[in-house]
This record gives sequence, structure tokens and C-alpha cells, in this order.
Amino acid sequence: MRNIILGLIALVFLPAYMSGQEIKGKILDKEGLGVPGAIVAAASSNSSTDTDIDGNFSIKANVGEMIKISMIGFKTVSLKATASFMTVTLSESKDTQLDEVVIIGYGSRKKVDNTTSITSLKAEEVSQRKVLNASQAIQGKAAGVQVISSDVPGSSPSVVIRGLGTAIGGRSPLYVVDGMPTENINNINTNDITSYEILKDASALAIYGTRAANGVIIITTKQGKGDKVTVEVESFTGFRNPLKKVQMADSNAYARYTNAALGTATFSENQPVNTDWLDAVTRTGTYSQNNVSLSGSSENIKYFFSAGNYEEKAVLDGLNYSRFTFRNNNEYRISDKLKITQNLSFTSANSAPKPLDAFTSAYKQSPIVPVRFSNGSYGVSFVGSDGTAGTAGSSFNNVGNPVAQLDYTDEEQRSITLQGGLKLDYDISSSLKFTSQFNGEYYSWKKYNYEATQEIFNTYNNPGNLSTIVYPADKNINSLERGRDQYFNWNLSNYFTYNKLFGDIHDVEVTAGMETSVRGGRERMTVIRRDVNANSNYWSLTDVDYAGTVTSYKDDILNETKLASYFGRFQYKLLDRYLFTGTVRRDGSSNFAKDYRWGTFPAFGLGWVISKENFMADVKTINLLKLRGGWGKLGNQTVPLNNQSYTSGLSYYLGGSILNEGTTINSLIDPSLTWEVTEETTIGLDFELFDSKLKGSFDVYDKATTNVILYTKPYLTSGITDPTPAEVGEISNKGYEIALRWDDKISDNLSYWVGGNFSNNTNKLASLQNSNISPIRGGNLGNGQFTKQLDNSSVGQALGSFYVYEYAGIDAANGNMLYYNAAGEKVVQSELKEATDKKYVGSILPKSNYGVTLGVNYKNFDFSVDGYGTAGAKVYNGKKAQRFSGENVEASLTTDFWTATNTTASNPAPFNQVPVASTYYVESGDFFRVNNITLGYKLPLKEGFINYCRLYVNAINPFITQKFSGFSPELNGDSDPYGTQGIELNAYPTLRSIVIGANLKF
Amino acid sequence: MKKVYISLFALSTLFMASCSSDYLDVDATESIKTEDIELFNSNEGAATFTTAIYNKFLSFDMSAFSWVGLTSIASDDADKGSSPGDTGSDKDVLDALTFNSSSPSVAEIFTANYAGINRCNQAIDIIPQLDKADATVRARLVGEAKFLRAFMYFTLVKTYGGVPIIDHLPIQSSEDDRIMQLTRKSKEEVYAFIEKDLLEAAAVLPLKSSYSSTEVGRASQGAAYALLAKINLYQKNWQKVVDNCNLVTGYSLVSDYASMFKLAGENDAESIFEIQGTGSIPAKGIAGYSNVQGARGAGGWGWGFNTPSQSLLNAYEANDVRKNATIIFAGTTLYDGRVVPTTVENPRYNYKAYSSSYTDGWETDANIKYLRFAEVILMKAEALNELGQTADAVPLLNQIRTRAGLANTTAVSQTDLRAAIWKERRVEMAFEHDRYFDLVRTGQAAAAFTIHGKTFVTGKHEVFPIPQVFLEQTGGLSTQNPGY
Repeated sequence: MRNIILGLIALVFLPAYMSGQEIKGKILDKEGLGVPGAIVAAASSNSSTDTDIDGNFSIKANVGEMIKISMIGFKTVSLKATASFMTVTLSESKDTQLDEVVIIGYGSRKKVDNTTSITSLKAEEVSQRKVLNASQAIQGKAAGVQVISSDVPGSSPSVVIRGLGTAIGGRSPLYVVDGMPTENINNINTNDITSYEILKDASALAIYGTRAANGVIIITTKQGKGDKVTVEVESFTGFRNPLKKVQMADSNAYARYTNAALGTATFSENQPVNTDWLDAVTRTGTYSQNNVSLSGSSENIKYFFSAGNYEEKAVLDGLNYSRFTFRNNNEYRISDKLKITQNLSFTSANSAPKPLDAFTSAYKQSPIVPVRFSNGSYGVSFVGSDGTAGTAGSSFNNVGNPVAQLDYTDEEQRSITLQGGLKLDYDISSSLKFTSQFNGEYYSWKKYNYEATQEIFNTYNNPGNLSTIVYPADKNINSLERGRDQYFNWNLSNYFTYNKLFGDIHDVEVTAGMETSVRGGRERMTVIRRDVNANSNYWSLTDVDYAGTVTSYKDDILNETKLASYFGRFQYKLLDRYLFTGTVRRDGSSNFAKDYRWGTFPAFGLGWVISKENFMADVKTINLLKLRGGWGKLGNQTVPLNNQSYTSGLSYYLGGSILNEGTTINSLIDPSLTWEVTEETTIGLDFELFDSKLKGSFDVYDKATTNVILYTKPYLTSGITDPTPAEVGEISNKGYEIALRWDDKISDNLSYWVGGNFSNNTNKLASLQNSNISPIRGGNLGNGQFTKQLDNSSVGQALGSFYVYEYAGIDAANGNMLYYNAAGEKVVQSELKEATDKKYVGSILPKSNYGVTLGVNYKNFDFSVDGYGTAGAKVYNGKKAQRFSGENVEASLTTDFWTATNTTASNPAPFNQVPVASTYYVESGDFFRVNNITLGYKLPLKEGFINYCRLYVNAINPFITQKFSGFSPELNGDSDPYGTQGIELNAYPTLRSIVIGANLKF
Repeated sequence: MKKVYISLFALSTLFMASCSSDYLDVDATESIKTEDIELFNSNEGAATFTTAIYNKFLSFDMSAFSWVGLTSIASDDADKGSSPGDTGSDKDVLDALTFNSSSPSVAEIFTANYAGINRCNQAIDIIPQLDKADATVRARLVGEAKFLRAFMYFTLVKTYGGVPIIDHLPIQSSEDDRIMQLTRKSKEEVYAFIEKDLLEAAAVLPLKSSYSSTEVGRASQGAAYALLAKINLYQKNWQKVVDNCNLVTGYSLVSDYASMFKLAGENDAESIFEIQGTGSIPAKGIAGYSNVQGARGAGGWGWGFNTPSQSLLNAYEANDVRKNATIIFAGTTLYDGRVVPTTVENPRYNYKAYSSSYTDGWETDANIKYLRFAEVILMKAEALNELGQTADAVPLLNQIRTRAGLANTTAVSQTDLRAAIWKERRVEMAFEHDRYFDLVRTGQAAAAFTIHGKTFVTGKHEVFPIPQVFLEQTGGLSTQNPGY
């Protein structure tokens, strides 16, 4: 497979002591086409040049001198200069580390010369799995990178690189898209990505300083190449369904179970209705994407245009999402020395969200309730005297009608993201280059949300027009919320890169520069109005003053934040095999108090390419063996800020009717509060064996975040009630990663690969220096129960640990659920003491992640399979734990629950109280899933109008094995380990998709 | 090319220059930074810091459920009330005198008063810096803050004994300030601190009568002297009680006792200092105050806590007008015509917390009268009696009895008059948050609780426990009260 030509090139210049004549030649690829942009360097003459658009070059050198020709994607060639016209055919490089280049932040480096841990993924790996977000696509493909995704259209996955190092700070890695630091890449069309690099260790990350602690992902988008105009079209369409369903009780089983629970015969055990609510709220999802790109290059310009359209009708009824992307990347070679690169991306996304708690309602609502009653009104949970659901009777649960819930949600969101940048590269001399880059991002978002308040009230209170409940006259008939949100962020960096080989053995590259990054104040406005026109066209008429109908008006501008930075990197290579990298970044952040805003983040890396040593020359099986290691310090500046502000609204009447405004300060500040600091030490080994058929790497790391910020309780006597953020804790992440891949070509017609990666991480809250932590209570189930806690008792536990009571089985005498108290006695829930009886029972964070990949190319067919799994995580069956009397249960429960005649049942007697959070609902989150199967076929086309056509079928998430009894063990929730992450409540199911598509090139 | 090179260099130098220290100073837009004190540099701006202190008295934790629990339910004037099963989190143990240092009410009153004190310290610190406000206004506002700080320290010292004295805004990094916040001072030191604040307040506060109609409700000079007298009373400094009572001038007893606890009687001639609740929109009332004490059950409007005890009922002499002004009896009609049916859960409720216009509102127009001229008269009577001037004390007591529709006292001896004054205080000031402390002050507690059917442990129950949460924060710098 041919490597993609990158825009950035590692220059290698050699020392010179003389200059000679003009040597001319042409560089060709194996098809005989000229290779533009190849670097031709004469070692002794210290001269170099690039080939022109046709592959021609002309360089000053002496006949007989060694000329080195290098080009990304091709094997580097050294040969003697001849006076006659030189014709050199380059052979494409296989993906050996010797030739691969990785992006390292403010530059690039040959992978073999890199001392740090970077996983570099190429275009096909990012675009192969047909999902919206590139980070979801790479799940399982990079060792040490955990991706927790959700199939909610337009959602962003959580990415955790080498373990979670913060409790309440920002957790997201920094994305750098063509030089623009950003937080979200949902606006990037995966088809436009040429490389996706994950910087994993501190010595790679330190160049990003105070934003690097969660890792950095550098995304580079495509550039034009080749001397012909290439038009590429990719089109696919797919069908989606929930990967796994939970078998719920049917209406008669429900009636039996609930009657037993109530000890009555409220429900007829011969029900006329049997609603499958999950079916009622879902449909077969469909999605499709169409992309067209046009690219090419001429002598002075490389250009790339792409337009893409993604549309999804989600499995949840009514939930729709669409995204349109447009991109233009150009590179202008103004002169031999000056190059300007420009990129622009426009993304517009529209969505019609629907409430995900419809899934929980569908799980809980009784199957005896019809979707609609015979009179056309929505079914509600009223049971009549005949024991069936009807428009009149007594209400038997508080669950809404999931279908009505979806139908009554009338919401739309639209966003526009513009990202663009200008980059200027100027070769001051053959060794010194100056780069200046400006990038900006503009985001604008709007939404409306219309609620037919009165209609909803009538649905639930007045289903058969029989009820005497009348809608209160003073309540609003409907309400309309409109929201607006926008920001502009920009980034400017200027740096010099100096690269020189001294005395043939000392290869030095120095990068030094400055950067500023500004996140503009985010402007948000939300207005809620009541009693708007029922026709949405007439919501916003001109010349109408709506002040009288406004029930809420919020208009806020968040603080701007600025970062000013200096950075430098020194890379040294001795004898082509001893490597050293030293990095330092100094960041000043407006987030922190004046005297505490500057921080320095140093790092170093060492490498030894053992395979280049003489004593290894005879070891033919080892093509590459490199030992590397490093240490560095990183920051996380997205921590709770410590701004002290005036609190207003503390008013008081004086003089009878005069409301006086009051002001106070209700927060303490610790002005010394700054970024969280993570220190990491890492050692790694890269190897290629057996003619580079087997490639792999192994990494061990030890990461410690030493000043973890948590909230502390102010002294009672301070009079301050708001908790104060303080640097009080230490979080440790220790782990290892292995990646292996075997590639082999059996014949020209048959090649295959097998690969895999495994990573293990131990996360721990190592210590807390302050005994006065304000506890984080999280994982709220919405019924008064919380499932997670972080306080002084959490030391030694992993972050995101469940903190619940331990289930002790069923009391055979009465079917009650029993729990262990602190003394180890079995007690019922009313006897439990929260202060002493809860236990830590495992975390939502997996201990290991692994991925496997295999593929075969046979003649025109290509076939590949990717799998992903995690082990060691716990998940909480939240919707089951939230269940209450009168709500539906799993079918398996109705056949085996405690009764006076079945005292050894495996399930407790039906009960009618909110169950405490306990291990009864904590289940193993281990799973292995086949993420993707692709089968493709290239049509054997002769050179013609269509040069290339590949048809493919993808199966995304076709199979899963899981221990969890719920829908999906991959639960991103609100992506907060102390929020709903790892809890299945209002969770969108993981989907199985079947996709057919085609790639065409003209 | 040279030009490009030069201009690039210029660009980078420009950037370098812009990275000076100011570059990173960004303007706050999401909240008002404390550095922007200039926004408050006016008479109105300065006043907001003092207003915030008054506002603290409207909060639920400061003045409502817990405060009612400590001062009334725990005393012999009231029972827990409400439904037998509703503990009101800890009102059952307050009623039974079995509370401990983890009882939420005990922690809430501690925390709330220190929150108020923090607002006082802010006002005292910030207002003098506001040089565009009139000097006299600033002095008065600081005087109000000092009065209110003294008021809250008096609450703390009565409730917990000696407590940490926070006399300035603590600096987080200061070890001295940390120790200040965590170390209990003696009762005497706290009283000395209160007295100093009150003397400084009295020196600058205007008379109640000189406040304009738009300033009604602010602390006045009379309030400062009345509170000084009460502090002297608690320290048995009898001559000072008399002297300070004599400085409380311009007040008189109103003729109709019941009127004081209705809307029309707010800030009347007898009122020296009261907390102002307003029920009209936007409502700013004492959160939950009326509601938690409102009649419970069918025909009721509240939670039904703090019900007048049999012991209190027995304390009223026949024909005492104060009985029916203090107690709502089930099955009777209120002054506004509301009928309280017999279906309510408890036989009696607190009338002084009743709001006619906003009966079941969370924030109502009910005020709390903390200092009334009637108490000044009783304090003076008590002090004169203790000084041996019993004959001078008798007419003072009789003023109160006459207004209540009762005959003159029959007490003649110093001992009898002392008992008569103490009893008068009880019926005159029932449910005005005084009884528990008064029982302790006068040494009647053990006997009174025996009558009430509860056990008061002498040497323990004179004060409430220091909240356990706070003791844990002190790391040994402070110790618990005896017996807890």
C-alpha cells in the first residue's frame, strides 16, 4: 500500500566544502511518473533541492559525489552523481519504521529517529469504520488509548490516553487540527484526514505544556498531490439496529408479577394488549455519507477540495442528524524559499434531538398499556376495574408514554463551525527555516425547543376526557426556548527550525518558538417564552415586542482565556543511532493569578537504535531494534478556577416596600492554585523482525499527577459555604502497552496481516493531603441514590469507583433483599447506615483494553476484521435499579422470584420501595466486540474515465460477547467518571450497522 | 525575499512584545471580580454590603427550623409538635434534650451565624475603602455591621459558650488566621468583643426616629444600647444593665399586645430591632419561618412544628391577654377570620409566626421581634431588684402586667420579685427565641425542665455542643463542651 505523501518533510542536509557543476536528472515512480517534491541532496556540496512538478531536478554537485534522494512514501536512495542526465526510479517503501515520518508537534521526525511514544494512524484506518467521529473510528487501534463511544448521532467519544489523571479537571485530550488547538473534532470529515497521531508519553507531549496532561491528538488533513487532477468519490449507505436487546416481560407475565408484588389481583392475567415498548420507540436506523474530493498539484500549487454530506435517521424514532462539510487546503510555493499553506473547513450540523430517557421509559413502562387507546389518545398507565389499561382508573406507575415523549419533543439544533489557517514556511538558509502559523475557529450554534405544555398535561391527566382535572388557567399553554451560542478562538505560532549535520555524525535539529492561544469569551443566550403561536412560522414576527411573554432570559459571556507560550526542542542524533531529545515549554495562562500563571514543562527522551550497531549487522532476523525512554512534566490547566467574585441577589426590604440589593463574597481563594502537574517516566522498545514482517513495540510507563485539585470544605467559622478548590491529591497511573503486527505477502495476488494490541493500566487515587475534602457524590440515579463517591475514604481506589452497599442475597423467610453492614451482618435496607456500610466495589475504568486486527488481500478482494475489548471495568444497571412498583421487569425475573412457595428463588420478592444502590446492580463490564468487518472488491478497470472503483460491504459491531445483562457495557453517559459514565440509564444502545459503499477515482 | 524575512522577524518581535505580563490579564465577563470594587463606590454600593448581612437573617438555616428548634422546641415553652413520626430531622431529640454534636440543627446555627459574621467582616473591611460614599453613611453602615456582628456573636456565645472570634477577613495563607478560625475563645473574651462592637456601634448609629421612612428596619443606637443591656444582664453586671436601659429612649409600650405580631404592628413604637419579612412579590421573607410552625393536617397550612407546651399554657394567669395572642388553639377563629378546624394534628400552634396574607407561603410577611421595649423594662426591673432597689423595680414590672390585662404584682421581697420578673419574661416573650437561654441564665433550667417532663443535665445542657464537623476541622485546636 502506498504511503500518503505528507505536506511536511524532514530535511536532511549534509556538510559541504565545495560546490561543483550542475547535475540534472529526473525522479520517477515505478509507473514512470515524475515524483514532484522529492528532496535531492548532495552530501559534500551541502546543496539540496526539490524536484519540480514533473520530477525534474537540477543541483550543484560534483560528479561522483553521493546524491541522496528522499521522498516520503518511497525508499531513500543514495547514488553517485553523473554528468549525464540521471534517471532515478524510486521504489515505494513498505511501512517500515525506517522511512515513516511522524508528526511530533511543530515539526515532524522520522519514526526511527523519534525517542517518544506516538501512535500514528493513517487515512484508511481512520475512515474504514464508517462512523462520524475519527476518535470513535480508531477505537482498539492504538495501544494505551481507551475510547468510550456512544452511537448517539453527533456525540463525541471520551478518549483516555494512558489512564485518567484528574478527578475534576478537564479529561479530554488536546486536539490539534492542522495547527489549531481544539476540543472537539466532530466537525472534521474522517475522509479528509491523512494522519491521526496520538502523542502518548510525556517526552512527546511536553511541547504542548500546560494543555498536554491528557494527551494530544494531532490531526493532519489531506493535501493535493500528483500532477493530474484526481476526483474521488466515496458513497455509502447503511442500516442500523440495536446490537443487543433485553427480553422484557410480556403483559401477562407482567400482570402476574405485579399482582404478586401488590398482593392483589389488580391486573387481569389475560391482557388484551402486549406492547413492546422498545419496538414502539425504535425504527431501523439508516445513514449515508457522500463525499467528493478534487485534488492535484501543479508546479507552484497543491490543492485539495472536498465536500461531504452525512445523514442519519437514528434508531430512536424521530432522532435525525445531518452534517455537511466542506474543506479546501492549498499550498502555494511562492518561491524556492517561501511556501504558504492555507486551509479552510466549513461544517454545518443539524440535529433533531429526542430524549434518551425514552429508552428507560420503554424499559419501564408496562406492556399492558397500549401506545394509543382506541380513542386515539396516548396510552397511559391507568388500570380499570377489569384489570386492563384504560382511559380511566387508577394510575399504577409514574412512567410516561415513551412514544408520546418522543412525539412531544420538538427540538432542533444547528451549528456552524469554521476552521481555517494560514501557514508560512520560509527557508532562511539551507539549515534554518522559519514557520509562522495562524489558525482560527469560529463556532455558532442555535436551537429551539417547543413544548406543548397544555397538550402534554392533558395527555397524562385527561386521557379519556373523563377526568375533571382542568388545565389551570394561569399556566402556560406552551413554551418555546431559543438558544444561541458562539465563540471565536485563535492561535498564532512562530518558530524556527534549525537542522544540520556536523562532521557527518552529529545530526542536530533545534526548534524554538512562541505561541499564543486565545479562547474567546463564549457568548450564550437563552430565552424562554410562553404561549407562542402554534404555527412555528409565526414564532418570530417583526415589530412584535415579546417582553411580556418572556419567562426566562439568560445572556452570558464566559471569560476569555489566553495562553502565551515559549517552546524549544533539541533533537540530536549521533552516528545515526544514539538519540536524544530535550524539550521545554513555558506557558503563561490567564486562568491563574498573576504571580502563579507561568509554568515550565521540561522533558527529555533517549533512544538507541541497537540494530544499527555493528555487532547487530549479522543478525539478519532483526531489522530494527530500538530502545527508547524518557521523562517529562505536563500540565492540565482546565481545572476548576478560583475566581473570587461578588455574589448579588442578597436583597432585603427596608422601609417597608423598598427592596435593597445585597452583595457579598461567598468563596475563598487560594491564589496559588495552578495547573495540575503530571510527571511521567516511560521506557519503550520498538522492533521489526523477519524482514520487517513482524513489527511491534512495547512500552512501560509510570505517571503521577501530584497536585490533583479537589474541592475542600472551608472552615465552618470562615462563614464561606462554597467549597474551595485546592491542590490536595495524587493520582497514579502505571501500565504497559504492547502492539504487534505481522504483515506478509505470499504472492503478488495474496497478502495478509494479523495484529493486535493490549494495554493495561492501574489507576489509583494515591493520596490525599487534606482531610477536609468536600466529597464528590456522583452516579446519581435520579431516585435519591448515588453510586459513586470520592472523599477521604477513596485513597487507594481507582477513580470512578462505585461506592455502594454489598448485596447479601435474599432472606428466605420473606424474600427481602439483604445487605452486609459494616459488621458483616445481613440486614435489610432500612437498617443500613450510609456512613459506615458502603463499600468500594470497583471502577468504571477498565484495567485493560485490547484490539485485534486481521486482513487479507487476494487479487482484487480485500477483507479485514477489527475487534476491541475491555476487561476489569464495572458497570451499573441503572435502569433496573431505578425500577419501581408497577413498572415492567425482565422476562427472566417473572419466572423465578421469591414467593412463599418458592423460597429458594434466585430473585427477591417484588418490592415497592426505592432499592438502595448495591452490588446487586453492579455487573462486570467486560466485553469483546467485533468492531468492523470489511469486504471490498476492486473492479478490474482499464485506464479510462474511471481509474479506480472499489465496492465494499462493512459490518460495524456485528458481534459482541458481554457479561452485562443490560443493553450495552460501553457506557459513555455524560463522559464524567463521577457522572453517568458506566451507568446504564437513559443510555443509547450500541448499534450494529450494515453498510454498502463504493470508492471511485476519476 | 529579504523584505519578507524582515517583516516576518518584525511580526515575531511584535508578538514577543505583546507577551508582556499584561497580555494575560483578561477581563472577567461571567462574574464580577472582587478587584472591581469601584462598582460599589457610592452610598448605594456601600449599603449593599450591609444589606447582605440583614439578608442572612432571612435564610432558613439562620432563622427558621433549626433556630426554632434550639430556642423553643428544646425549651419548656414548646413541644416538637407535627406528626409523631416526623422527626423534623432532629427536632425530636432537641425536644427530648438528647441531641448530640452531630445533630444537624446544632451545626446549622453555628454555620449560619458565622456566614453572617463573614458578611459583617466584609462590610467592615470594604465599606471604609469606598471613598466616594459619604463619610457619615459609611460610618453608619459600619456601625450597623458591628451591631449585627455583636448580635450574632451573642447568639453564638449563648448557644455554644466560648467560640472562635473572627474579627477580620481571614487570609487563606495566614497561619495566624487559620488558628484564629479554629480556636475557641473563652466566654468572657467573646462578651468583651461583643461589648466593644456594641459601644462602637452605639457611637455612630442614629436614633431609630432619625431614620427616614425608607430606612426603617436598620439597626439604631437604641438597639445597640438595648443589646448592651442584655449582654450585661447575661453577665450579671446589674448597674450597667440599668445604665444602658436608661440610654434606650424614644420607645414606648404599645397598648395592644396582640397587634405587635400582626402586619400593622411591624416596627411600631415598642419595636427596637426586628427582622423584616415581606410576602409581596418579589417575596423576601424569613424562609420557611411561618410554614414550619403553621398548623398541620386537614385545614392546616404548615408543618406543625414548635407547638406551645402544657407548661407554657399553665404559666399564663387567668385573663392574661398574651395567651390568646401567643397561642393558636385548634377549633378557634383567628383575628383575620380564618377558622382553624379541629382536624389539625396538634391542639396548639405558635401565633407569633402566623402570616395572615401569606398563610402558607414559604416567604411571608412575618417578622421576628428580637428586641422590644417591654424587655428593656423587664431587664431594668430585674437589675434594679438585684441591686437592692426592689421598690423601684415593682412599677416597671407592673407596666408590663397592666398592658397584659393583669393586676399589679403581689411580690414585695427581692426574692419574690425576682421570681415574678422571671415568670413575666416567660409569658411576655414566649416564642421570641429567648426562653432556653433565659432558663440557663437564671438557673431555673433544671427545675423548669422537671415540670416540663424532661431531664436537664446540669453542667452539660447550659450550652449546646460544638458541631462535630467543626471539631474535626480544628484538628485539636478546640475542644468539645463538657458532657458531649
